[in-house]
Amino acid sequence: MTDSVPILEVASLGVRYGATEVLHDVSFSVDRGELIGVIGPNGAGKSTLFKAICGLVNHTGVVEVNGVHCHDRTDRMDLAYIPQRNDSDLNFPITVGELVLAGRRRFRHWWGRPTAADRAIASEALEKVLLPGVESRGLGELSGGQLQRAYLARALAQQASVVLLDESLSGVDQPTTAELFDVFAALAAEGTTLLVATHDLALARRRFGRCLAINGTLRADGTPSEVLSPDVLDSTFGSAGHRAVAP
Amino acid sequence: MQWLLDPFRAEFMQRAFIAAIIIGVVAPVVGTWVVLRRMANLGDAMSHGTLAGVGLAYAAGVNVLFGAMGAGLLIAALLLVFSSNRRLGQETVITVLGTAFFALGVVVISRLDTGVELTHFLFGRVLTVQWSDIWLNLALGGVAVLVVLLLFGELRLATFDHVQAEQVGVRVELVQAVLVLLLAVVVVISLRAVGTIMAVTMLVTPAATARLLAHNLRQMTVLGVVFGVSEGVVGLILAYHLSSAPGATIGLVAAGVFAVVFALTLPRRMPHHHRPLD
Repeated sequence: MTDSVPILEVASLGVRYGATEVLHDVSFSVDRGELIGVIGPNGAGKSTLFKAICGLVNHTGVVEVNGVHCHDRTDRMDLAYIPQRNDSDLNFPITVGELVLAGRRRFRHWWGRPTAADRAIASEALEKVLLPGVESRGLGELSGGQLQRAYLARALAQQASVVLLDESLSGVDQPTTAELFDVFAALAAEGTTLLVATHDLALARRRFGRCLAINGTLRADGTPSEVLSPDVLDSTFGSAGHRAVAP
Repeated sequence: MQWLLDPFRAEFMQRAFIAAIIIGVVAPVVGTWVVLRRMANLGDAMSHGTLAGVGLAYAAGVNVLFGAMGAGLLIAALLLVFSSNRRLGQETVITVLGTAFFALGVVVISRLDTGVELTHFLFGRVLTVQWSDIWLNLALGGVAVLVVLLLFGELRLATFDHVQAEQVGVRVELVQAVLVLLLAVVVVISLRAVGTIMAVTMLVTPAATARLLAHNLRQMTVLGVVFGVSEGVVGLILAYHLSSAPGATIGLVAAGVFAVVFALTLPRRMPHHHRPLD
């Protein structure tokens, strides 16, 4: 496998929920180490796009990861998906260490147990997201920002080439968001590809090297200044988009 | 001391205690996952629904435990089939199946001309437990505990975050199907001792009590077993001295322990223990 092969290739992807077409004809490719913002209004299909890429919903079209055509979920274990923060039960009796170790499951059979090497990788992942030594803490003991970092550590322990973060920054305060973006940038520099869904257009302008505008289909794909242009914002958000983005 | 030891002297009481201990171990081991997955209503429907198999087996002269197991498997299979219909929530399907099978059981038993009473199955007759029942319960319960131990990691992943679990290769639907089958096993081994109604009590209450105290899953499972066994034994001792229905007495003891633990742990759940701010 050469570096010229995109790490993620999406071609003519479409998703229907019953009679409703949520996404159609979405095509783009992503290289290793890119940090990409996925923008669009509520209901635009950002979460559906991520779920389709991960094989969690039925779709038409093609998803290739590292040049391999994906047929089912087991082909897509090189992708990590971090859903919106309120999707999980935070009172569940699981420690942060156990949460991060969940990422290692792809490397063993169902009857296997985490090894010492798995635990070392999990601890290293927590250190990378600036959350060292919290393995024995319960999830309920973490703040919102720390929790997002713990989920990110799980994705790192999974050693996924592509990490999809779905509105993971919603409700996280500005200093924590800045810290998380520093972590994203460091990961991207090491070769991990990150796609981050966000409503925050000002953030998208400042922190991403590339943006995808989604609303039912791919409206635009380019640098933040190209994607956050008045025409694209009109087609993606309607007139509200102009007010939401900082110059 | 004499008061405590008296109930153990008769052989039928010894068998009853062994039956209660088996249920006290197996039900919370499975019940831990029933509580965490918020599937208590499925346990309720399964425990009621197995009455259909019990009634039919009794009518056919077959061991009622086999009838209960058959009904449990059929409910599990039908649940998987009907749950694929997205117009109906799983809660609805569970209720329809549970009540339908329960109604069938009541109709069949009410038409039997053998003097058998519905209450025998609903509330159990722990004093009539035979050694053959105990061996069967030991075998079924042993398999159930072994399956939970083997699947512990998969159950944890599938229960906490089924989306991520699928993403890393866990067969989430298969795990769910196995859990439903284990639920049927618990109902079957509880049948003779505490009856179909109380089966769900032993499945849910000790595990729920443990949930209030435990910080992790292993603690929750072990505490659930400690509660399940001790509540079964204490309930039987009380039933012996009070001449009360054993299954219902065990259920009341379990509910009483839950209430006490709930009250004692109330301060821990007060607002100042909520999530730290960023």
